Parts: sequence; structure tokens; C-alpha cells
Amino acid sequence: METAYLIVATVLALAGAAHGWCVRHDDGKSRRAFWWMLGVFIAQSLFLGVRGELRGKCPLGDLGEISLFLAWSLTLFYLVTGTTYRLSLLGVYTAPFVVILQIVTLVPGSLDYDLVQAEDVDYWREMHAPISVLSYGALALAAVAGVMFLILNQRLKKQKLSGSLMMGMPSVRRLLQAMARIATVGWIVLTIGVLTGFKVDEGAINIHFLVATVIWVLYAVLLGTYFVRGLPGRQLAWGLLLLFVVSLLVFGKL
Amino acid sequence: MKLVCLGLNHETAPVEVREKFALSENKVPEEVRALTECRGVHESVVLSTCNRTEYYAVVDSEAGHLDDWVCRAREFTGDREGLFYHHDSMSAAQHLCRVASGMNSMVLGETEIFGQVKKAYAVALENKSTGGVLNKLFQRSFTVGKRVRNQTSIQEGATSVAGASVELAEQVFGQLKGSSVMVVGAGEMSRQTAQALQSRGATSVFVTNRSFDKALDLAEAMGGEAIHFDDWEPTMEHIDVLISSTGAPHFVVKPQHVEAVRRKRKFRPLIMVDIAVPRDIDPAVGEIEEVYLYDIDTLQNMADRAREQRVKQLEACEDIINEELTKAALPGLE
Repeated sequence: METAYLIVATVLALAGAAHGWCVRHDDGKSRRAFWWMLGVFIAQSLFLGVRGELRGKCPLGDLGEISLFLAWSLTLFYLVTGTTYRLSLLGVYTAPFVVILQIVTLVPGSLDYDLVQAEDVDYWREMHAPISVLSYGALALAAVAGVMFLILNQRLKKQKLSGSLMMGMPSVRRLLQAMARIATVGWIVLTIGVLTGFKVDEGAINIHFLVATVIWVLYAVLLGTYFVRGLPGRQLAWGLLLLFVVSLLVFGKL
Repeated sequence: MKLVCLGLNHETAPVEVREKFALSENKVPEEVRALTECRGVHESVVLSTCNRTEYYAVVDSEAGHLDDWVCRAREFTGDREGLFYHHDSMSAAQHLCRVASGMNSMVLGETEIFGQVKKAYAVALENKSTGGVLNKLFQRSFTVGKRVRNQTSIQEGATSVAGASVELAEQVFGQLKGSSVMVVGAGEMSRQTAQALQSRGATSVFVTNRSFDKALDLAEAMGGEAIHFDDWEPTMEHIDVLISSTGAPHFVVKPQHVEAVRRKRKFRPLIMVDIAVPRDIDPAVGEIEEVYLYDIDTLQNMADRAREQRVKQLEACEDIINEELTKAALPGLE
């Protein structure tokens, strides 16, 4: 049953990306991307609900679940912040990333189907894992906004002022605001994730905890520099993108 | 009874002739009443803008030639060859629709004319010089104007250097409300560009010029602040857009000027518009990360492209006009 929800979520995200790309010149006037992504979010939530029920705890037990949980967090933050900043085009850029994450979940072997109901649950761990993945949803969205910024910036600098990539693009200023604020939200949630992680295993220092702390510090330095000293938009965008990709790769390995 | 249209515009008459036929706002009601009182004229609307003067009338066979009446009224005795265009029945209706849609304007697709046509009709209505034919025709032309605006892209893109600058500034800053502009060189192009930015919400304007008196004049005209030419560099800390149009034979704005204020600006985006020839801003300034530099060629290309795009929309606009004029029979077009 949960596979059906997953397929629906993937088809909706694909259709949303395609449809959003076709009507992107209406951006700002329409909320089409929002409705597609809302559909994706509902299907993802149903999938996670079924998996959580089967596990008897937070569904973050295998690669497929982690990937889908990340896609869910990304979609959630888009729904909350994308529309606030009237960045419905962000949905068009977010949808393909969501599709990739969901394809990872769909790959045979990434989901464990022989699930055993958990008997006892470590509540700190149950808080730490979803909060951390949730924070990466926001940080992923900030990275997506960063990609949009880099595209817009490159075209404005090279004076390529027409063309399909420019259609419906928000302004440079709006993308800068979105990147910084979404990343800040992600960093705050990550802080809670790191703090709850400290309680897991009685605060024992392990490589996972160290990596998470280093990433937390790097995000803090990047955002602190941007807000206090100032930073060219391109450097902020690359910083957010690289930090997200590196953390994804590192945690993938771990 | 038939519908007729007589007019002259920027394509048929030079400005010295157009100004003889142009009517000030308070003269139009008088003109409308005088025309409707003529024998054989049943209804009339007079449209007078800086680029055109047009008379729309419903006349019968007793009516004399409209151009004779107009030339008499304007005391025009010059050569009339090719001065006026005449349309009647369907052709007159199509012409009005083209005018209301901005298809006949000097700047193709401009929107101001729509309001001017509405006003001309309102004046005629107030003076009871319209009836069954012109009422329906003008209402239909407003429908056409709205459809053309909403269903085609004839009004999209900036067709002037000033407009292109505004478009670029909006791509970087979104709304220009509260933005600060600095004008280097108090020339006409700078004034136009700064005014265009002001009309979209830019609030602070700083003007600097080698001749401080000229800077003062322009600053006063724009409600801004004049700055001595030796002191303009630190002001860059506060601005969002810099427009440069001096007559200097060398670069006025150099990378070191921007580098000096980058930290203080916290690396905020800065648009620089160089409309001078020879250029005022060193192209190396454009390599600074947060600077978006555009010269006159870029802006002119944008304006040319927008004009080409608008011309491509003409066919779709004509389809809308024909559809609206034929979907329900209008009186006076037989």
C-alpha cells in the first residue's frame, strides 16, 4: 500500500515540475506549484504514516525512509516558506529534487519490507532523527534557492536577459532573503537536532555526532558572516549548496 | 447614416502641424458640441493627444467634408496633401480599436492611450454628443483594448533605454520602493532614467555633476540631493542604482571606487547603468560579484527586442479586433 502512495507522490512531483515549468511566466500570479506540492506532501505523509505504523516508531530505519523523510521535509518547508515569499517558482525547482529523492526510495532494496514492530523506544533518538532530517529539508530548500540565485545571477551578469530560464524568476533581492531566512530556520532546527543528539547514548561522542557538530558550526559561520559582515550573494549561494551536498554525502556514508 | 473617422497623427503630420490641431483639455467639450451642431452630424467624439487628433462622427449624406470643417475650425490654410487619414464604417471601427489598444501609437503597445480614449468618450457623453452608434462602438473598443492587454503580450518589455533600466532594476530588486539612485552627470538621458526609476518607487535621488549648478537644478527638479563631484564616491555606500551619463572622455567610475565601499555596503547588490558614449564605467567594475553593469548597447538591444516582440503580436491583436467587431452587429458599420 505504501508503495502506491510513493508512486502517487512521485508522479505528482513530476507533473508539478512539468506543469510549473510550462506556466512559469504566470509566477507570482498563480499558486499552481503550491497545489501540486501540497498533493505531493499528502501522499508522502500517508507513506510515512504507514511506515511509522509498521515500525512502531519514527520511519527512519533504512535508506528509502530517510530519503523520503528528507523529501517530505523539503516539501513541507517549501509549502510553509515558498508561498510566504511568493516564490512559487521555487516549487518548480524543488519538485525535481523531490523526484530524485523519491526515486532513491523506489529503487529496489532501499526499503526494508520485513519490518518488526519496535518493543522499546529511545525517546531522545526518536526526537533527534526526525528533527535532524527536518532541518535538512529546510537546508535543502535553501540550497535549491541558492541554485536559482546562481542561475539568475549568472544570466544577469552575462547580460543574457531573455530566454526560458529567466521566465518567472523572482528578483535577486527576494532570492537572497529566501536563502538566508530559510537557511536560518534550518539551522535553528538543526541546533535542536544536535542538542537532542547529545542526549542519545548518554552523550557519548561518536563520529556521527562530531560530523553533525562540524556541519552545524559551518552553517553558523556562513550565516553569521552573511548577517554580520555581509557576503556577496554568489558566495552565500555556493556556501549553502556545497554545505548541503557535503553533509548529504557524509551522512550517506555514515 | 454612416460612421466616419478623420484624423492626423505622428505618421502623417510633423509636430508643427500636429500642434495646430491639438486641443487642450478644456477646448475638447467645445469642439465636440460645435461638431455635433453641424448639419448632417448626429454624433461625435474628439480625441486629442500629443501625437494625434481624431474626430469620430456619425454623419448622413447632407454632411459636408469633415476635413473642411476641421481646417476651418483650426484656421489651417496649409497643404493638406497626405495630412489626414479617413476611415469609414468598419474601417473606422477597426481604426478606433487599434488606437485604443495602443497598436497605432508611436510606442507600440503603450497603455496611456487607452485612458485617453476613455476620457475622450466620457467628455462626448457628458456633452450629449454620442448616441446609439458611438456609444456601442466605444464600449466595444474598450473591450478590445482590455482583451489585447490581457491576452497578448503587446505591452510587455521595455521599449526605451529608461524603461529597460527600470526592468533590469526590478529583476534585481523586485519592487523599487525605497530604493536609492545616484545620477552621475546631469544630462537628459540620466534625468529620464532616474525619473522612470522614481515613477516605480525609488525614493532617494542623489545627483552629481562637474558643474554643481546643473546638479542642483536636476536634483531640485527630482526632489533629490545634489552632491559635489569630488564627494560622490562615499555616497555609493547608500545607493542601489547608479546611472552615469557624463561627457567625460575617460572612465569616471572605476573598480577601486566600488571596492572602497563594498564592506560598508555589506556586499548588497548594486546596479550600474552606463548610458554614456564613451563609457563612464570601467567594464572591470562589472566583474565585482554584487555589481550588475549594463551599458547603452545592452539597454538598446533590450528595447529593440521588446519592440520586435510587440510587432509579432500585431496579428493576434487584429484577430481580437475582428472577432469583437463581428460577433454582434454594431450599428453604423453597414
